[in-house]
Amino acid sequence: MIELIDVYKAYTLKKVRKVIFENLNFRFEQGRNIAIMGPNGAGKSTLLRLIAGTEQADSGRITRNVRVSWPLGFAGGFNGSMTGLENVRFVSRIYGQDTEWVIDYVEEFSELGKSMRLPIKTYSSGMKARLAFGLSMAIDFDCYLIDEITAVGDANFRRKSKEALEQKLDHSRIIMVSHSLGTIKSYCDCGLLLTHAGLTYHDDVESLLSAYNASCA
Amino acid sequence: MAKLLALQARVLGALVLRETRATFGTSQLGYLWAIATPAAGVAILVLVFASIGRLPPFGSSLALFFATGYLTLEFFRKLSSSLMTTFNANKALLTYPIIKETDTLFARFLLISATYLVIMLIFYSVLIIFGLADLPRHPDQLLYAFGAIALLGFGSGTFNAVVLSQWASWQYVEQVINRPLFIISGVFYIPSRLPPEALAILKWNPVMHLIEWVRTGYYPNYDSMVLSRTYVVGCSLVLLLLGLAGERLYRKKRVSV
Repeated sequence: MIELIDVYKAYTLKKVRKVIFENLNFRFEQGRNIAIMGPNGAGKSTLLRLIAGTEQADSGRITRNVRVSWPLGFAGGFNGSMTGLENVRFVSRIYGQDTEWVIDYVEEFSELGKSMRLPIKTYSSGMKARLAFGLSMAIDFDCYLIDEITAVGDANFRRKSKEALEQKLDHSRIIMVSHSLGTIKSYCDCGLLLTHAGLTYHDDVESLLSAYNASCA
Repeated sequence: MAKLLALQARVLGALVLRETRATFGTSQLGYLWAIATPAAGVAILVLVFASIGRLPPFGSSLALFFATGYLTLEFFRKLSSSLMTTFNANKALLTYPIIKETDTLFARFLLISATYLVIMLIFYSVLIIFGLADLPRHPDQLLYAFGAIALLGFGSGTFNAVVLSQWASWQYVEQVINRPLFIISGVFYIPSRLPPEALAILKWNPVMHLIEWVRTGYYPNYDSMVLSRTYVVGCSLVLLLLGLAGERLYRKKRVSV
């Protein structure tokens, strides 16, 4: 379970101060798959990073008593001059996983073949995304944070990713940012609508989607 | 608690391995260069002084005298300047919430200290084997001195890293401070023999105390009139405190990727 208590977050850039969250309180219940929807710039990705802990709130507290993933969906954490294999080994080590098992899994899943032994900077963005997704599926989390992930790779890889993610849902929960109604319908059972006015919780996806459509109109 | 310690050890271990790979590359040649560069520095000093027919300022070996000064200075400088750029170099790692910025600082510190421990062991051993130096007289003091260099380097590097994260021009200021250290730290002379007026100013430089500490530990009768262990450890702790407090204070202000 993850809880946000009185979270305040603002960015100051070039002397422009932009408040993203003020007095944000929310409790993510265990056992629910939660969608986060909202217009661009409402703070969806920021919320995900706060939950993950890759970013700190300016004030307030965020507690988690489950293993939460890093925000999946972009390959920002790779070191370009190290090979795919070395990057995978590193992440597997910090999360205390069986390194050999993780390597086998990622090699099979990402279908990168010999490219695993080449530096990441030689990869195309599709290859990087495949490696990143394979790696995140190889590590066990109680809660996966997903930021717009579904548009990666060819049809075959998308099918595989979908299967892997669905398998994860047997034991783990997800919190997912997406604009795609189909994706949200197939993975989530409740959701948050994040607009510039604030945060509203919807206990089922239908009500979330209609509120989202109303807010866009 | 035990779980947290295990996690910390795991993250540090993985970071040190990664840092090793990034610093030295994949070839064995990388390690060789790391050892050869400071050794070459000492060799050049010896060549210059020998060619103008100078006697060693202390003891009978030019190589030993310069090694005690130059290797000490280089160890400190390496820590101070490498730790300074840690935050920028490792921004991508913050994708993984399990890694904190201080971890990257600790990992780099551990790697550099281990590297210099090896460099010094090899260098002094070679001098001893070739008869260019005797065995150190107070090995325990040498060990403390090594710890003191590491501590001052860590304090200074942490301080630099935090200041740099708030003010990008700091890297130039740091260079201005760091450059003259070679001249003012007693690498190629004995500070105690300086004119008292000069010494009164130069003794504020903590790196000079480190070099004096190393020499007091190595030579049987190196009487330092300047060495204050309290002063240099005090400087280190103040820098470290400012650095870590600053890190804590500005942690939220650093925008992550």
